[in-house]
Amino acid sequence: MSLKHSGVSRIGYVWIAVDDPRLLRARAFYVGELGLMETASEPDRAMFRCWHDPYQFSLIVEHSAKPGLVEVGFQVRDANDLEGLGARAVAAGVGLESASAPAGLGQSIAFVVPAGPRLRLFDEMQQPGYVTGFESPDWVVPKALRGTPAPLHLNHVAFTSPEPARCSAFLTDVLDFFVSEKVVGSDGTLVSAMLYRMLKNVGGQELTVFPAAAPSDSVRLHHIAFSKEDSSDILADGTHLRSDGIEIDLLGPVRQPYGSTFSLYFRDPFGVRIELCSGGRMTEPHRDYQPVQWSAENFKRALSYYDESIGEGFLEPSL
Amino acid sequence: MAITRLNYVSLRVMSLEDCEQHYTQVIGLRVTDRRPGQVYLQAHDAQDHHCIVLNQSDRAGLDHIGFKVTDASDLDEAEWAAREWGLSYVRMPSGELVGQSEGLKIELPTGHVINLFHHAAHVGYSTGMRDPDPIIDWIDGISPVTHLDHLLVAGPKVSQAAAFMREALDFGVTETVAGPDGEPMIYFLTVGNTMHNIALSDGPELGALHHLAFYVHDRADVIRRVDMLKHRQVTTLRYGLTRHGVAGVTTTYFYDPSGNQNEFQCGVYETSGVPGCVRPVRWDLPNIARGVFYYESQLFDEFFAVMT
Repeated sequence: MSLKHSGVSRIGYVWIAVDDPRLLRARAFYVGELGLMETASEPDRAMFRCWHDPYQFSLIVEHSAKPGLVEVGFQVRDANDLEGLGARAVAAGVGLESASAPAGLGQSIAFVVPAGPRLRLFDEMQQPGYVTGFESPDWVVPKALRGTPAPLHLNHVAFTSPEPARCSAFLTDVLDFFVSEKVVGSDGTLVSAMLYRMLKNVGGQELTVFPAAAPSDSVRLHHIAFSKEDSSDILADGTHLRSDGIEIDLLGPVRQPYGSTFSLYFRDPFGVRIELCSGGRMTEPHRDYQPVQWSAENFKRALSYYDESIGEGFLEPSL
Repeated sequence: MAITRLNYVSLRVMSLEDCEQHYTQVIGLRVTDRRPGQVYLQAHDAQDHHCIVLNQSDRAGLDHIGFKVTDASDLDEAEWAAREWGLSYVRMPSGELVGQSEGLKIELPTGHVINLFHHAAHVGYSTGMRDPDPIIDWIDGISPVTHLDHLLVAGPKVSQAAAFMREALDFGVTETVAGPDGEPMIYFLTVGNTMHNIALSDGPELGALHHLAFYVHDRADVIRRVDMLKHRQVTTLRYGLTRHGVAGVTTTYFYDPSGNQNEFQCGVYETSGVPGCVRPVRWDLPNIARGVFYYESQLFDEFFAVMT
């Protein structure tokens, strides 16, 4: 092959831990309310995928007495990337971890991004295949999920970091992520950034770094976002979720200039902020691609075009 | 390294003036430059200099298709591949199209010319790149068309062309449509995580264009645009708005004043980015009416007949 794509090719999954001994509340929410499909379970662990995914999982929820973000998984082109990116991570002073991988992955490596979450890069994920089948499929939400948001894909994972600049620099310099949008303080420091590797229609971010309140704070989950077809769908979803008593975040559905999405934020039973997003930008993994830049004083307006004041709470982590 | 995206389509038109009006007023692109016999246009949510080049000509159709690559050295790699595959190729000098670095033009077995190049001049988003207000107040709906999404082209030796795209240029195949002999007659190919950047169809004529598609973020925008096409008496296909069973996108088709077919499309189907990782979806002939026109589930010959 003359030309070849390499490196990180897609966001694969997010793995969270919550205090839910039999994972009944997690299942009730993620299947019953959000409309994901449970594909596998182990004691203390349940795996879910979106209906349009061919893969085994895009969300893992684990029961633990210590709730938090466990890791985010990215698929790479092949095993050469695991070797290459692993070596670059080590050269950048990051140790590879031996924490065991979730079942269903091929080869993988895991490491903690400086001032960021643990990432796992893997070369393959088991595929139950499309629920619609591969032969002349109806690309339509399965009947059992209708009336729920039933998002198409995991879109991005956002976390709070005590050092957004350090974390973002590692992702761009070592793992070849690109910045699609960033928020910069008056002194030039990086406040927040959206990072991507994918060329997709609801694009522009697979990882988003928000600032932690204090330099001593640990890295925590801010929100998990899933892709939706469009804004009308999101309005209908918001109606159904609210009718079921789900707490809606911000001041309802918002146009979010930061990332150019139309979004709805709400909480799972453990307080985890979930976003449904549409829009975004078809960002290009090319070094010529330039980020949108926001000044820190416009950060809140960038988060919601509609709401005069979104409150301090929105910048807080949710797990 | 690799191809990063479908960057532009260079089109032949018979009336530059009428087509400039069509691509700005009906589709909603912005003019980024003009040269004698040429107009350059770009969508609002794209950063590079152009996604459409209109060329004054005595006939409609495709001049060539531009794909951006990551590195200048990719041109040498692709040249080597073209030679290996017995395809004709030629270097396109830097600046031959406004703002573009040197390119390598390769003629596919289907008669289509693709141009690989690594750098385009930057014009940025219409909203600006610093603290952008997201709203543009003179567009026909909720959102403007965001970018050139894909094109469908037709020609002979489609399987050979698809093999070159896959094996030499690292495209992935997401869906196929099987012909009467069971072999694919249409390939949907991607270089990233969208469902397709280009589709190749079997057809009798070398280098034919079926349509080129512009993306909108909302299905409500597709509805609004169909309304406006009818209101402005733009020639459309007779069924108006529909949904493709293939990819599950909401869509409408119409023609520019020279007869080149256009599409507005909304759909967020995501693919892996690793070619060959996920088995392609396969459509067979008994189901293809539903695959093309989901609601109508019947085929309209005009849809396949009109090529430029």
